[in-house]
Amino acid sequence: MDPLLQHLERFSEVLAVSRTTHVSSWDPATVRRAFQWARYLRHVHRRFSHNVHIRTVLERRLQNQWKLEGDSGPASVPGLTNFRALGCCDLLLSQRLLENPALGDAAFHSLVQELFPGPGVPDAEKETLQGSLALLARRRSAVHLLLFNGYGENLVCQEDTLIKTQAELLLERLHEVGRAEAEGPSRLLSSLWERLPQSNFLKVIAAALLLPSSPRPPKDELELGSSRTPGEGGQELIHWLLGKSDIVATFCRSLPAGLLTSVASHYPELFQIYLGLLTDWGRRLHYDLQKGVWVGAESQDVPWEELYGRFQSLCQAPSPLKGEVLTALESCKAQDGDFEVRGLSIWTDLLLALGSGA
Amino acid sequence: MPTDSFSEMTQDSGGLFSDYQFWMGKLSVWGQASTLETQQDTCRHLPLFQEFLRQMYEALKVMDSSTVIERFPTIGQLLAKTCWNPFILAYDESQKILIWCLRCLINKEPQNSGELKLNSWTRGLLSHILSAFRLNIKEVGLFTQSLGYAPVDYYPSLLKNMVLSLLSELRENHLNGFNTQRRIAPERVRALSRVCVPLVTLPDFEPLVEALLTYHGHEPQEMLWPEFFDAVNEAFLLKKISLSKSAIVRLWLRHLPSLEKAMLHLFEKLTSSERNFLRGIECLMKDSLLPEAACHPAIFRIVDEMFRYALLETDGAPEVLATIQVFTWCFVEALEKENKQLKFALKTYFPYASPSLIMVLLQYPKDIPQGLWHQPLKHISEMLREIVEDQTHRSYGGPFESWFLFVHFGGWADIAAEQLLMSEGEPPEALLWLLAFSYSPHDGSQKRAQTMVEVKSVLGRLMKLLRRPTLSAKELQTAVGESQDSDLRPPVCRQLIRCLLLNFLLWAPGGYAVAWEVITLMAQTDEVTHEIIGFLDQTLYRWDRLCMEAPTSRKLARELLTELHAKVSSTDPLNV
Repeated sequence: MDPLLQHLERFSEVLAVSRTTHVSSWDPATVRRAFQWARYLRHVHRRFSHNVHIRTVLERRLQNQWKLEGDSGPASVPGLTNFRALGCCDLLLSQRLLENPALGDAAFHSLVQELFPGPGVPDAEKETLQGSLALLARRRSAVHLLLFNGYGENLVCQEDTLIKTQAELLLERLHEVGRAEAEGPSRLLSSLWERLPQSNFLKVIAAALLLPSSPRPPKDELELGSSRTPGEGGQELIHWLLGKSDIVATFCRSLPAGLLTSVASHYPELFQIYLGLLTDWGRRLHYDLQKGVWVGAESQDVPWEELYGRFQSLCQAPSPLKGEVLTALESCKAQDGDFEVRGLSIWTDLLLALGSGA
Repeated sequence: MPTDSFSEMTQDSGGLFSDYQFWMGKLSVWGQASTLETQQDTCRHLPLFQEFLRQMYEALKVMDSSTVIERFPTIGQLLAKTCWNPFILAYDESQKILIWCLRCLINKEPQNSGELKLNSWTRGLLSHILSAFRLNIKEVGLFTQSLGYAPVDYYPSLLKNMVLSLLSELRENHLNGFNTQRRIAPERVRALSRVCVPLVTLPDFEPLVEALLTYHGHEPQEMLWPEFFDAVNEAFLLKKISLSKSAIVRLWLRHLPSLEKAMLHLFEKLTSSERNFLRGIECLMKDSLLPEAACHPAIFRIVDEMFRYALLETDGAPEVLATIQVFTWCFVEALEKENKQLKFALKTYFPYASPSLIMVLLQYPKDIPQGLWHQPLKHISEMLREIVEDQTHRSYGGPFESWFLFVHFGGWADIAAEQLLMSEGEPPEALLWLLAFSYSPHDGSQKRAQTMVEVKSVLGRLMKLLRRPTLSAKELQTAVGESQDSDLRPPVCRQLIRCLLLNFLLWAPGGYAVAWEVITLMAQTDEVTHEIIGFLDQTLYRWDRLCMEAPTSRKLARELLTELHAKVSSTDPLNV
């Protein structure tokens, strides 16, 4: 086992270096050797994909390594993060080297010879790598073609697809990190929250919470932990979200009403928080007698139209939600004095509007 | 450049040079294929351009990079233009061949600034192809990177999700948190079919291709691109994709040229493989999906029309006849499997034939006790004769039309010949007529009557020999009148009599002992030898189909077939 782990570590180092300017010292022999190691690891992946013990040991090692790299700063990009990555480690290496301008001419020449030996190669391994790279290039062109010609004016649908893909990737990573250590997912999520543009991240979180089950079904091989229950990744995510009151508030404030209704109808705790926020927001509005409308005191207050839209969306959700929303509104209305006339309590007005709208 | 090497080169690759100019012109016009016209033109030329790239690579791979530049000074331009056309990069193996070409430009040890520049230019292009079209949506790149994913990890899922989202849009029920229901515009479907042209063979696209083929729009005119149909059909015929039967049917119904190409492809396969056994034809036939697709009458009628032309063009070649018969067996089988109660009336398949005749012809002999086979035969014969000889039935077409219909179910004629030898007493007039008609549909009634008389007398002589335990080849020859030096009977009549004699050999108790001798005497020419092989193969095939119990006859037929094949291949000039 030890030689194998050493090998793994050495290759991880190679992979880390492959993105840096250190490759300028590489000669053709170094390139060839790096790919020999990669091929060896691919062989390991094939051979042990059904051996749970060896897989577990290797995965643990990879996770630890990733954790160390993750701690070293946000700019670091991990190399091998899970057992499956071993199956395409040569692809990973080739991508990094191809994109690295520091690689010298002779080394680059031998890299391209290594990756694209041409037609009718006797070496099956090289043929596979050449095929995978060509397939990747083809898929990239396909994505490009679809993005620019497939969606026409329908950019929303295009965005949905991008968000959904990111959501799947997020869940997968959360799952892996969760296996390595208990507080892993929450640590990862917090660091992502600090690093990434919030609006995109919030949308991804919402989409991930709505994904029905394991994003990547186990392929031919026996996936460790493939027995995850539907929504398990979602549970880790919601747990983190509910623990961060400021993030939850931003989440509920910035995402569209329909999307929040969908998420809320899947997660009762989030629904309660959302409902609480909605009532808080409502309380901040006062009635402008001259204009005859409810307005906020400050610019960041939620406008009446939006508030109404969010309540309306919740009322259109399946039964328990609608009932609870109406009960909450009724009790707020009672607290305010149970008026039936417009302009005195926002809850009366909301209930009237919802009643006539329904 | 030395003159001699130049002339040598132009001799070698003169074609390549003029192609080079042509494609350089095309690529310049296409640009990044961002307009409808350039996309359309690119799509039309994808296979040809790939072939050119391949030739280009073959030429480049034997040169070093400086020779390449010397001989093709603008090669960098040509390859760069190629790299920027997403349709070409998405097509089949073009991206791979392009990379091979670029590889030939890289100089291992650049000596001067020009070579250094070329190297870095080439590296730029390679990295463009392999990591091209980075998603220009910043967030996605940043997000995946922060999670530690490389493009190889997420491009497949991204593509899968894109295909899924387009699929659900096509199904007109795209519903999710962000959006409410909407309907996809015809122009988008059209554009989508255009994008799919280079991608139909990419497995990720199979569901989308299926969905497009089966998508029913609300427009009266076709909204999918003809190039899309061409590409799908081509990929299907070359077995580069697998599509459901319903998708194929939709393809052929929506795009007739594709159906015609599928038929021609089948014909090509049939003629390119050496002399086919019916089993072999059946395999190719079923593989083509044509019999199943023909359950849709519109497809059946076009397929049938092409068979009719093939028959006319080849003057009724036995191979074409056999193919039509096999097609009909498979078609009827598919029809039965598809719908227990007929979805379409039989009349829609055979609009010009008498419905009652079709009903009888379609009866599966297997479902009728063997002893009663003469009844449907008699029925068929009478109906055909009435249509052919009676002028009042002109609406069912002339004798050719009736015969063309009958040859679809040619098994009945073979059963008639068998029945004539098995029935005791006077041979039934109806069966004699059916045989004479099937062998020579264009004869007038007088000539046909002559044939019938001749066949009847031969039959009479054969029947006398049928129960004899031992026979001699000589007396059989005399019985069928073959021994006469100057046989004045028309060739078709002689062919018919040969068929009766062969049946006799298979069924008569004394046939086994003399069969090979008789056949050797009979098979004086290649044509007759092939005719006998065809008869034996067809008979065995029919017996299998009808599950006939005839162990002795079966064994004999198989042995004769093997021996004849050995004989043919030993005299075939190609095998010497």
